[in-house]
Amino acid sequence: MHKVAIIKFPGTNCDEDVLWVTKYVVGLDANIVWYKDFSLNTWDAIIIPGGFSFGDWLRAGAIAARTRAIEELSKVLDYGIPVLGICNGFQVLVEAGLLPGALLPNESGKFICRWVRVKVERPRGPWLRLVNDGDVLDMPIAHAEGRYYVDEDTYNSLVVKSPLLRYVNGYNFNGSSYDIAGVATLDGLVLGLMPHPERASEDVMAPKGFKANGKVIFESLARSLKEGW
Amino acid sequence: MPLSSGEIESIKRILGRDPRPEELAMFEAQWSEHCSYKSSRKLLKLLPTKNDYVILGPGRDAPAVEVFPGISVVFKIESHNHPSAVDPYNGAATGIGGIVRDILTLGAKPIALLDLLYLGNPSNSHANWLIRGIVKGISDYGNRIGVPTVAGDTWFDDIFNKQPLVNVACVGIASNNKLVLEGPKPGDAIVIIGNATGRDGILGSSFASKPLSEDTDKEIGAVQVGDPLTEKVLIDVLQELTSKSLVKYIKDLGGGGLTTAVSESAADYGLGATIHLNKLHLREQLTPLEMLISESQERMLLAVEPKKLSEVINILNRYDLTYSIIGHFDDSGRVRVYYKGKLVADVPAKELARPQALRRDSRPPQEALKGLTPIVRLPKVDLGDAIVKLISSPNIASKRWIYEQYDHEVGIRTVIKPGHGDAAVLRILDDSRRGIAVKGDANPRYTSLDPFNGAANSVAECFRNLVSVNSTPLAIVDELNAGNPEKPEQFWYFEEMVKGIAWMSSELGLPVVGGKVSFYNEDEKGRQIKPTATIVGIGRVDDISKSTGLALNETNNYIAVVGITYPELGGSEYLYRVHGLELGEIPRPRPASEIRHAEFIKHLVSRGIAVSVHDVSIGGLVIAAIEMAIAGGLGIELHVDRIPTRGTERIDEVLFSETQARYIVEIKASRVTEFKELTREYGIESNVIGKVLSKEVIVITNGNEDITTLGLPDIANLYNNSLKKLMEW
Amino acid sequence: MLIFMVEAIITNKRSVRDPEGETIHKFLVLRRGYNSVKGIRTGKYLLFNVEASNPDDALSKVKEICEKLRIYNPVVHDIEVRLRA
Repeated sequence: MHKVAIIKFPGTNCDEDVLWVTKYVVGLDANIVWYKDFSLNTWDAIIIPGGFSFGDWLRAGAIAARTRAIEELSKVLDYGIPVLGICNGFQVLVEAGLLPGALLPNESGKFICRWVRVKVERPRGPWLRLVNDGDVLDMPIAHAEGRYYVDEDTYNSLVVKSPLLRYVNGYNFNGSSYDIAGVATLDGLVLGLMPHPERASEDVMAPKGFKANGKVIFESLARSLKEGW
Repeated sequence: MPLSSGEIESIKRILGRDPRPEELAMFEAQWSEHCSYKSSRKLLKLLPTKNDYVILGPGRDAPAVEVFPGISVVFKIESHNHPSAVDPYNGAATGIGGIVRDILTLGAKPIALLDLLYLGNPSNSHANWLIRGIVKGISDYGNRIGVPTVAGDTWFDDIFNKQPLVNVACVGIASNNKLVLEGPKPGDAIVIIGNATGRDGILGSSFASKPLSEDTDKEIGAVQVGDPLTEKVLIDVLQELTSKSLVKYIKDLGGGGLTTAVSESAADYGLGATIHLNKLHLREQLTPLEMLISESQERMLLAVEPKKLSEVINILNRYDLTYSIIGHFDDSGRVRVYYKGKLVADVPAKELARPQALRRDSRPPQEALKGLTPIVRLPKVDLGDAIVKLISSPNIASKRWIYEQYDHEVGIRTVIKPGHGDAAVLRILDDSRRGIAVKGDANPRYTSLDPFNGAANSVAECFRNLVSVNSTPLAIVDELNAGNPEKPEQFWYFEEMVKGIAWMSSELGLPVVGGKVSFYNEDEKGRQIKPTATIVGIGRVDDISKSTGLALNETNNYIAVVGITYPELGGSEYLYRVHGLELGEIPRPRPASEIRHAEFIKHLVSRGIAVSVHDVSIGGLVIAAIEMAIAGGLGIELHVDRIPTRGTERIDEVLFSETQARYIVEIKASRVTEFKELTREYGIESNVIGKVLSKEVIVITNGNEDITTLGLPDIANLYNNSLKKLMEW
Repeated sequence: MLIFMVEAIITNKRSVRDPEGETIHKFLVLRRGYNSVKGIRTGKYLLFNVEASNPDDALSKVKEICEKLRIYNPVVHDIEVRLRA
């Protein structure tokens, strides 16, 4: 059975949510791994869940990105192991340089918890295997530092060619550049996104007017681990 | 409050000698109002606390109520009024920290937070600053510890401009076999886990036991800074320790610091304790006295059997949680404190932990007559304008400016989210469809006019909110926010509120399993705030997929009111917002109707006849119906002449009275005949009063007369954005 | 009238905890072996671009603003107002 690691730092708080969805909703063999115990070669896929690792002190994800666990993780591109960063996980991945850009405090200066709608462009790789280009997914955001920033050159040379999730018109609440809610490496192996797919994986959790289709990201992984991507 | 000379004499008698400075400090911290409820204990005995499913009532740091076989809910409410007035951000944040730790003491997992805020006028710059700080404090702390803030209550009133009331509640869940209910035994090690002790919060409890001084800068010693990162680690560590049954007993170090934690633990179980202060992990150099009374945050006390100690230490080290083993429990009945081998305190645990209760004098003030003043000759007003004023009132308008700053989704349990229903509904998160509902309510205007009935009405409102989401109300906790108990005309309000809660909760069959009291909420001129009784209740949800929200669902469905409307404009939001008056007889509590109507609503929902439900509270019937329309994005037509009333003479009485025990329900079009039959069968005063429209308008008529027509998008805009406009000027 | 650059540095008072500084110190700096760093305190930095007749005037203007508008909370914060070098 393929094994998924959910890395937990002090202050990570969505680990159990991700475990619930990966294990009980989608049926993967998943474990929460304390960052000190993390070692790359035991796992077939890695998820860095949301929360406030190390209190989000200094900058969100900044301290976690400098742990041995994340340094190990940086070798993942050599091993071809899928990595997903959700919210704080996304922040850790950009701080570690595994994904382009940076995540800054929301334009409003406030924490925002709301459901949003995102559109997927150029889906590639294990996390978006079951998603079609142009598909719209509903998921909630909950963050204070979710404003994605990338400079124009990097955007034009790299980001526009990569799998992307963009906030649908009217749903960019944090002022992200180019409406970017999530971005992946060119091959889609490493995906980071601010919205929480694990909070949108069961119908009963979707509020009026939204659908719980974040599940497709985890289902894509399950399929990809079985059949390749 | 420094100890009275009478109290100092008591201490001399108890010890049989003059107290050492350390011992005096211990007594002052423990006997201050905040910790020991000198003024309130006698009255609080009036509250009904028992029931078959109450596993643990008042007495420990939090109560436990069984909601499903083998599963219990642990919940509590607390106030942090005085610190929030001085440092709103940290005051509110540490309030969250404290209440969560109380839940942890029973080994429960915290799964929800509620914020119940009674704040000043946003147009007042000081109040505005306090509001922002308080909300951000709760947001930053609650979000970081991963506990969703799922519901709350907010009220804005000039009286709270400088003295806000910040009540917070936490709900936890546990399997009965994992609840930590026993006490420590002689020989158990005393382990202090969490943050190192420092000089913060020296005599914080004492600070909360007196009125705020003119010069708040002097209050710096009492300010504590929260550290949610350590709190989250505490939550994780305790989860692991309790799942492996490694701890015997857990206590929070809150008000009164180490002194209170040790003395209460020992006294509650007829034990004593020996502690060596030099072993305590510190942040900075402190004297033994300072160590005893510091209120540094995020610290807890564990009683651990010696043979389990090394396993506990392994887990603490894994999580990098600092700790110190400072002593052990024994059967001496005394708390003996050593510092580097020297005895610095030796006091009997029971006498330290439990000072004598006081009987305070009580006298109704002249002010109380406002609650009896009849309302005569109100000018007639344009009802459309009145509705607009009410929908934009900060007490009614959407609180999304606040709750969107809270992560209300973390934990993936929140099925009914803020703004979608009368109460929050959380699933248990096992493979069943079971869940719990939780809500908090208060009405400072009611309790300031008529504390007995006002408090009774708050219990009823909480009850109704739980019923609206199709849950079975089980139990409540209360927070009483009052003025100076040494002033009989202020203590009277407290006494009446307690009696009101005791009466109504008895009538409704709701045990009051816990509660707190906050006194001395008055300013430097001795004026008290509006006394406020905050009630937080939980309900059992058998099937979360059948929880009813308040948003209208479908065009052509019918709108019905359950319950008669009486002319009760006294103390109403309408009377204040539109006519500038705060007086009159507040709406009568109606316990018999509350019970009958709750039964009825339950039947309507379980049979699928009612598809959305909203209780009627401030703003009256018309505001409740409009709120449902806004949430659903669907128009409504209301026929005033079809509303069942008794004794009303004017249309504003019908629309805006805050008569109790009423609900607005959306009836599925195809089931309306059944609905009418059921109302006859159950003998409920109820009627179909309107319909859900496809056009986005609100149309109100009275027979052939048009009362008003309002555009839904405009009303929705006012409702959704008024608070933001008020806060961000 | 001249333009002055005035810095306002807001930190927690010595007696008030600074969990951010402590965490950065313990979990980032010390963990990576920089034992020579004995402590870190954090704060907020504001740079005011202010029109005034002389440096003292500029400083006092900024001090007044920070007081009146509660840019810092005098109960828990210290503030250092200085001209940018």
